[in-house]
Amino acid sequence: MSAPFESSGREDAALGPRGTALTAGRLWRWLGDFRITLASLGILLFLWCVLTVGGLVNELFLPGPALLWDGVLDLIENGYRSRTIWEHAGLSLERVLAGFGTGAVAGTLLGLAMGASRQIEAFFSPLVEFFRPLPQLAYLVLLVVWFGIEETAQIILLFLTALPVSAIAARDGVRSVSLQRLQAARSLGASQWQVFRHVVFPSALPEIFTGARLAIGVVYATLIAAEIIAGSTGLGWMILDAGRFLRSDYVFAGIIAIGIAGLLLDRLLLIIERRIVHWAGKD
Amino acid sequence: MTKHQGLGALDRRSFLARVALGGAALTAGLPARALLAAGKAPDKINVAFFVETKPTMIAKGEGWFEKLSGGKINWSEVGSGAEINTAITAGSVDIGLAIGSSPTAAGIAQGLPYQLIGMVDNIGPAEEMVVRKSANIKSPADFKGKKVATAFGSTSHFRVLGFLKTNGLTEKDVTVLDLKPDAAVAAWSRGDIDAGYYWSPAKAKMLEGGGDYFPTSKKLDAAGYVIADLIVCRTAFSKEYPDAVTGFLRAYRDALAMFKTKPADAAAIVAKQAGVAPEVAKRDMDEYDFVTFERQLTEDWLGPPGKAGKFASVLKSTADFLVTQKSIRTAPGLEVFQQAINTTFMAQAAKA
Repeated sequence: MSAPFESSGREDAALGPRGTALTAGRLWRWLGDFRITLASLGILLFLWCVLTVGGLVNELFLPGPALLWDGVLDLIENGYRSRTIWEHAGLSLERVLAGFGTGAVAGTLLGLAMGASRQIEAFFSPLVEFFRPLPQLAYLVLLVVWFGIEETAQIILLFLTALPVSAIAARDGVRSVSLQRLQAARSLGASQWQVFRHVVFPSALPEIFTGARLAIGVVYATLIAAEIIAGSTGLGWMILDAGRFLRSDYVFAGIIAIGIAGLLLDRLLLIIERRIVHWAGKD
Repeated sequence: MTKHQGLGALDRRSFLARVALGGAALTAGLPARALLAAGKAPDKINVAFFVETKPTMIAKGEGWFEKLSGGKINWSEVGSGAEINTAITAGSVDIGLAIGSSPTAAGIAQGLPYQLIGMVDNIGPAEEMVVRKSANIKSPADFKGKKVATAFGSTSHFRVLGFLKTNGLTEKDVTVLDLKPDAAVAAWSRGDIDAGYYWSPAKAKMLEGGGDYFPTSKKLDAAGYVIADLIVCRTAFSKEYPDAVTGFLRAYRDALAMFKTKPADAAAIVAKQAGVAPEVAKRDMDEYDFVTFERQLTEDWLGPPGKAGKFASVLKSTADFLVTQKSIRTAPGLEVFQQAINTTFMAQAAKA
């Protein structure tokens, strides 16, 4: 799916700014590698139809296109369990953004500090390293006991998921600053703060962004676990609840919605990253 | 299995003849395992079960299920009937022990490849609404604006929805939260929820922690929201190993007999299996109505073989309700539920 974004700059020039006539051949060429993506989607769609239309696979396991379409329309028109689908999606997005936002900012600050100071790193690294690989379900019940079943527990869970990922990325970013640059800046008389502000931080930015994209990925993956805690709202919970009665149409609709939203969030981060750290990898 | 193989050396027909003549001696305990060797015995029976305080745990703890079904049992603990539905559909579970009536009704409506072969209990007041004393809930109208927790997809959830519906309330008036029993107890102890609809031990803990009963079960049963715990069996399995299925039910029948005749011993065994004190096991079990095989085989419940009883209508109305809740897409006619009840194994098990 990355082709249109990656190639747009280059290929737009080929199309010409003066609005060269758009022929099928040009379109075909303009699509570039995106053609392969289309083919992959096409094959998937074809297999899906073959498997479901003939009744080869039980609709409880895999709903056919028609059934899924009905399910999607039904969710849009009537919602799920007394809430509209937009409310569920909105609540999920709110949780993801709140958890990711706080976790990524706090994690980045912590990581920068850890990268800058050996003492700070020695102090925090056992915690961060311990939390990073920990399965969130392991401390879910504890979070309910401590913070209750309201949004707080869920957002804290997502916060704790995002924080170590961002922290480690930022720390490694700081570490990867080349010695020559540091020495060059210092020999020109830059203060500690100036070195950090003008050399260390910009050099670490690409890694920070990579960390943010990784973090939003894990936060997203943890969303379902978070929504199991207090239930009754959110796309993750909807998928879980529909799965209980093998309502595979709702399950698939929910998965597709979560997938698309996740992709958009990731693209958004990528666009921001390209704007801010456009120099990355061009040393 | 060793005995089974040993029998291979005998002439099976003459053995069978002797067994038939053996009559009384056989019931006296010449073991059903020998009996089963006459039919085909499975290598392994995959049984999904709940850790709970019920007489089924006697048969499990004492090894009767294995002895009388003639197969090595592979027990897998589950947390919900939905898991049993999924596992049976995938073919990884043969028998689901004490699955709730609402997941069962959903499963039958969806054409899952299993049959209802017996019942464990009529739940009655064993699952009930508990309200926090300080929440000051005296009438159904007082639930407005309150938070009620239950485990979604369970029989208790079915009751909660029935309670709302019969009292003209909606999920807009009352916040219904989806919490697993342990999480609900945690939320209750923090004061996050005003009411909970569960079974013990969660129910008992809420009662101990400042809760009071808000009785709903009698009215709901009368209004058709009957809930029960059932035994389901993968159809392909019962076709291939009918004797094992009969033996399995026979083991439960024996456990039920022990529960009725020697309640103290029964409670001790169940308590050990469930990891609770014997008094707790006894108290829990006293709340359920464990319906005898004889009663199950009457028109009031599952009915005799080939003639499904009233319980088919309970399943049908449960499924219809689940359709209105959009838990399942459609519900078939009553006859589908009648056909899904198969009491031939139970009738066999009740005899010998």
